[in-house]
Amino acid sequence: MRIGWGIRNLARQPLRTALSLLGIAVASAMLLDMVMLSGGLERSFERLLLGRGYQIRLTPKGTLPFDTEATLSRASAVIAEVRADTGVAAAGGVLGGSLYARRGDSLITFFGYGIDPSAQALYQVTRGRDLAPGDTLGIVLSEAAARALGSGPGDSVSVAGGLDPQLATAGTERRLQVRGLVRWLYDYRGQRSVGLVLPLMQRLTRAGADRASVVMVRARNDAEVAALAARLAERHPRLEVSSVADLVQQVRDRLVYFRQLSYILGSVSLIVTVLLVATLLAITVNERLGEIATLRAIGVSRLTVVGQVVAEGTALTALGAGLGVALGLVTARYLDTILTSFPGLPAAISFFVPDGRALAIATAVLLAAGALAGLYPAWLAARAPIADTLRAEAT
Amino acid sequence: MLLALLLLPTGDPAQLPAQEVAVERRLAGELGLRVGDSIRIGPSPDSLRMAGIVAAVYEPRPDPSGIMRRDKQIRMHLPDLATLLGHPDRVDRFGVSLRAGIAPESAAARLNRAAFGYRARPSAEIAAESSQTFLVVSRFHRAIGVITIVAGAVFLLCIMLLKVEERRLDAAVMRFVGVRRRTIFAALLLEAALIAVAGSAFGVVLAWIAGAATNAYYQRLFDTRLVFSLVTPGIVGFSVALSLLLGLGAGALAAWRLVRTPPMVLWGRA
Repeated sequence: MRIGWGIRNLARQPLRTALSLLGIAVASAMLLDMVMLSGGLERSFERLLLGRGYQIRLTPKGTLPFDTEATLSRASAVIAEVRADTGVAAAGGVLGGSLYARRGDSLITFFGYGIDPSAQALYQVTRGRDLAPGDTLGIVLSEAAARALGSGPGDSVSVAGGLDPQLATAGTERRLQVRGLVRWLYDYRGQRSVGLVLPLMQRLTRAGADRASVVMVRARNDAEVAALAARLAERHPRLEVSSVADLVQQVRDRLVYFRQLSYILGSVSLIVTVLLVATLLAITVNERLGEIATLRAIGVSRLTVVGQVVAEGTALTALGAGLGVALGLVTARYLDTILTSFPGLPAAISFFVPDGRALAIATAVLLAAGALAGLYPAWLAARAPIADTLRAEAT
Repeated sequence: MLLALLLLPTGDPAQLPAQEVAVERRLAGELGLRVGDSIRIGPSPDSLRMAGIVAAVYEPRPDPSGIMRRDKQIRMHLPDLATLLGHPDRVDRFGVSLRAGIAPESAAARLNRAAFGYRARPSAEIAAESSQTFLVVSRFHRAIGVITIVAGAVFLLCIMLLKVEERRLDAAVMRFVGVRRRTIFAALLLEAALIAVAGSAFGVVLAWIAGAATNAYYQRLFDTRLVFSLVTPGIVGFSVALSLLLGLGAGALAAWRLVRTPPMVLWGRA
C-alpha cells in the first residue's frame, strides 16, 4: 500500500497520464537517438577499419588515408621494410585509380584497386574465389560492377587503363577472367569497383612502376599498435603513419558538429522530461492536498508522502522511457537512412550505433531525473499544514 | 586546374624557377609564412621541384563545403601549375560565360554535340550535385525538427490540460453563480492564448540567444565568417503560428472537457 497509492494515482487521470507518458516517450526517444548519435559514427568507422584486422595505414605525407592523386614511390621496398619489423603480422600495398571496361560499344568506368591478395584488407569474397598472389590474368568484381558488365565468375572481361579523355582511347587493355564477386568494405552503395593484383594495376593505370596509394599493416598484437606506429613513423619520415585510433580521432574532429548537436538535443530532451514530470506532479499534489493532509492526520509520516510522490515520478518516467526506447529505435533507423545517404559514404557506415554502456548511463540519468523532478512536488506535499488544509477542504 | 600539392618552407635547390604564389591566410598562419618568404612546392613529398615566393596572403571566400575538410590552399598561375605537374596546356575544367538570353542547358547540349573529349554542364547542375551533402544535412535537420515539434506539441497539450484543470473550482463556482458555459470556455481559451503568446515570445528570445551563441561558437571553431544559425522572420512567424495553434487547440480541448463536466463533480461533491 505504501508505495502503491502514488503509482495507482496515475490511473485516476488517464488522459493526463497518457499525455504525460507520450511527452516523456518522445523526449526519451530523442535522448536515446542522441546517445546513439554521439559516438555512433566513430564506433561504426572503427569497426569498418578493423573489419579485417589491419590497424595501421602508411600514405604519402600530408595526404588523406586513401588518396588516389598522391602515391608513394618504392612501394615494394617500403612494404619489405615494414614486414621486417617483428611486430608486423602482414603488410600489403594498395593502388587506387580509374579503370574502364567495354560492354558492346560503350566504355564503362570503374574504380580499380590494385591489391596484394595475400595481405589485403579491402574486401570479402561473396561468390567464386579470390585472386591468387601474382594472378595477372584474374579480376574480382563488386556486385554493381558485375551487373554493369553482365559478367560473373568464369567470364572474361576486357579492362583498360590510362584513358586519354580527348581521344577516348585506352592506353593499355587486357583480357581478364572474373575469379569472383567481392564486397568492398569501403565502397559506397552501388559503387562499381574491380580488384586486380598490384603489379597489373600499376601497368594499366600508368601510375608508374612500384607505386602505391597506401600500405596497410596488421600488427601481431593489438596492444602494441601505438608503439609499432611510432616505430614505423620514425623509420619512414616521409610517410604519414596512421593507426585506426588516429583515423577515428580525425573523424571525431571532422564530425564534431554531430557530437555537439547530440549533446545539446539530448540535454534539451532531459530538461523537457524533468519539466513535464515536475509540472504534472506539482499539479497532482496540489489537487490531492486534502487527501495527503488526511493521511498525515492518521499518522502517515512525511517520509512516506515524499516516497509516494517520488515513486510516482519515477514510475511515470520509467513507463515513458520504455515507450521511448521503442519509438527511439524506429526514429534512429529513419534518421540513419537520411544521414547514410551522404554522397561517397561507405555503405557499411552507420551514424546511430547503440553502445551498451552509454545507453545504461542515459537510462540511469533519465530515471534519476524523473525521481529528482518529483522532489519539489514531494516537498510541497510533505510541508502542507495538516489542520489548515483539512479546514480548507471542509469548507 | 585543381590538384593536391605539397608545400614546404625550405632552402634546398629547386629544379624549376621560382614562381609567385598566393597562400590562404589559415595556411600562412599554420606555416608562419609571410609575403616575400620562399617555399618549395611539388605534387608529392619526394618531388618538391618548384621554388615559390609568397606574393600574397589571401582570405578565401567563405565556403560551407570546405569547412569540414579544412582544406589548405595556395593559388598560382595556371601555366606554372601545369608546368609543375608536367602537363602543359591541360586543364581540369574551364568556365564559359554565355551571352544574355542564351539558356545554359541548350548551350551545354550544343557544345556536347559539337565536340569530343569533354563534357559541358550548366553551372546549376554542378551546384546541385556538389550541394548534395547540404541537402542531406538539411533533410536531417528537418526530421529532427519534426520530432522536436511533436515533443513540443505533446508538452504544450499536457501543460494546457493541467493548467485548465487547475481551474476546476473556479469553473464550478462560476457555473453555480450562473455564468454560461460559453463564457467560461471563452475565458479559459483566452487564458490559453495568453500563455501561448507569452511562451512564444519567450521562445523567440531564447532562439535568438541560442542562435547567436551557436554562430559565435562555430565561427570561432572553424575560423570562418559563415552564418550557421539564422532566425529569419519566416521561421519566427511559422514557429509562433504553430505554437499559437497548438496552444489554442490544447486549451480548447481542455476547456471543452471542463465545461462538459457537471459543476458538482468539479466541486468534488458528486
